[in-house]
Amino acid sequence: MAERSHKWLVPFGQLSPGRQLILVWLSFLLPIAAWAAVSYVPFLWHPLMRITDPGSVSYFTRDSLVERKTFEAENQKAIAAGGAPADGVPANPVFLPAPHEVATAFHRAFTSPPKRKGDKWLHESLWQSIQVIFWGFTISSLIGVPLGILCGAFPLFSKITEPFVDFTRYMPAPAFGALAVAVLGIYDPPKIAIIVIGTFFQQVLVIANTTRKLDTSLVEAAQTLGANRRQILLKVITPGIMVDLYNDMRILLGWAWTYLIVAEYIGASSGITFFINQQAKYRNYDSVFAAIIMIGLMGFFTDRILAWIGRQIFPWQKTDKPGLLRMLALSKQRKPEGAAP
Amino acid sequence: MNAVNLPDYRTQSPAVADRFARIKRRPVILDVRHLTKTFPTHTTLSDLSLQVHRREFVCVVGPSGCGKSTFIRIVAGLEALTGGEVLVDGRPVTGPGSDRGMVFQGYTLFPWLTVKRNVMFGLEVAGQPFSVAEAEARQWIELVGLGRFEDAYPHELSGGMKQRVAIARALAAKPRILLMDEPFGALDPTTRCRMQSYLLQIWRQVDITILFVTHDLDEAVLLSDRILVLGTNPSRILEVIENPVPRPRSVDRMLSPEFLATRHRIEELIHGPAESEPATLPNIRLTMAGDDVE
Repeated sequence: MAERSHKWLVPFGQLSPGRQLILVWLSFLLPIAAWAAVSYVPFLWHPLMRITDPGSVSYFTRDSLVERKTFEAENQKAIAAGGAPADGVPANPVFLPAPHEVATAFHRAFTSPPKRKGDKWLHESLWQSIQVIFWGFTISSLIGVPLGILCGAFPLFSKITEPFVDFTRYMPAPAFGALAVAVLGIYDPPKIAIIVIGTFFQQVLVIANTTRKLDTSLVEAAQTLGANRRQILLKVITPGIMVDLYNDMRILLGWAWTYLIVAEYIGASSGITFFINQQAKYRNYDSVFAAIIMIGLMGFFTDRILAWIGRQIFPWQKTDKPGLLRMLALSKQRKPEGAAP
Repeated sequence: MNAVNLPDYRTQSPAVADRFARIKRRPVILDVRHLTKTFPTHTTLSDLSLQVHRREFVCVVGPSGCGKSTFIRIVAGLEALTGGEVLVDGRPVTGPGSDRGMVFQGYTLFPWLTVKRNVMFGLEVAGQPFSVAEAEARQWIELVGLGRFEDAYPHELSGGMKQRVAIARALAAKPRILLMDEPFGALDPTTRCRMQSYLLQIWRQVDITILFVTHDLDEAVLLSDRILVLGTNPSRILEVIENPVPRPRSVDRMLSPEFLATRHRIEELIHGPAESEPATLPNIRLTMAGDDVE
């Protein structure tokens, strides 16, 4: 190990914690650096010119953006006609705001009221979206998780539900949009329904599969210890798949976020999607970026927090980082006097 | 079954003969009658009969594919038989049950339960109140010498410790017979050796009958009262050997004449005398001249 550790590229190798940390930061810093470079280095991309002085070109106005070619052509015409050439600086299109503009917009979205009266603040929009996700995911899980476990555990349930579920999951959830609005109205219920439709069918299949992956010898061991069918389901299968189930739910929650954006277009546009659309309409692309990044941040931190919680509530997992509770338990335990065989 | 004459020196000594006489006076716990297991393509076990007496230690050996694992799984009720019957305490086996405990090669401890809760599992599913189950589990954990580890999770234990927990867990459910399917097969030789003496010690202290499948002939001779030698093509019982090695046994017994003779006898049964010579390879030389190793 020691003589391998100085290399960065080893197939299936391991990196030291320090190096891992550097790479984690780089994975975020590199895209931001690329973005900053395109935004701040004048000769990188910058296909447009921002007019600082219109000169004698009649239709140029201050701060308007024109194509470089047009800019040069018009200037030549102006000089030929004996007028003053326009002045300008290279600029990026309006849909690519610079990092500092997005950062300002991020700040503004939380501190200054929305432009139009009645529009929602960013955090209000987000809160509405979170509620839709929460209810959609909860309703789906309340049925999907038990059904998935039953399908994985008993071929009877698997054969009677999975073919139909498999068939339905190929129907895109947004296709049910019109139907959902007709049945449930235009506010939150049809959006929740779309998330349920988008999540539920995948959930049943994914969890059924996870359940089937459980080591069958654990079930056999339980049987030879006298466990009956119900005890096997509740005391062996359910706890046995809990760690994988939890991780499945984390992935499914990510999918639910994807369906959210579609769902919010249905009926009365609402939530974070409405915020983004509204800002795009005002051509506030910095705010659009801020909102998109906000969704990313929420997703990322939710996932990190759930991963952390996972380590706390599943102390039997083999990890290099035991949960807090487990560490407390270990420190209280009498020290093992050397590993007995 | 064809009769095989054992060498003369294996005539049982009075002490061993007396031991077998005592075993045979005890009631029969496991009664296998004309057991047959047929798969669509082949027959794994045909017309296998065996009686195991209370507190007897029977090992099953045989070449791979002889159906020794299938046999023990049928006794456990984890696989269905296609002919004959298996009786435990006179009751026919129809499925898995707590009267037949099993220890698997792959540990099969519940990873989400601590050592204590693993051992309590059989007691809890039998409806014992928590405190009773806990007290009883503690005794079994002490018996296998893991008292200090009762709150540890399986992944924190070594292979040998896991298998001791598995034995404690199986015994805590108070089975009539303990079925062990190559339980020490995954352990390193030193640990395996230690586990064998642990097992003999446990077997002496607990009222338990053991049916033990292994492919390690030394292990079979070291542990057993009788050894069931299965053969393949066609599948049959080659012999049931009454183990002449006196008890108490320990690893130093492994060089005694009885031990070596018994081991040799099994080897002969399984491989046949013809196979003692290694097959010759074609004479191809890929080294330099004068670079011989022998």
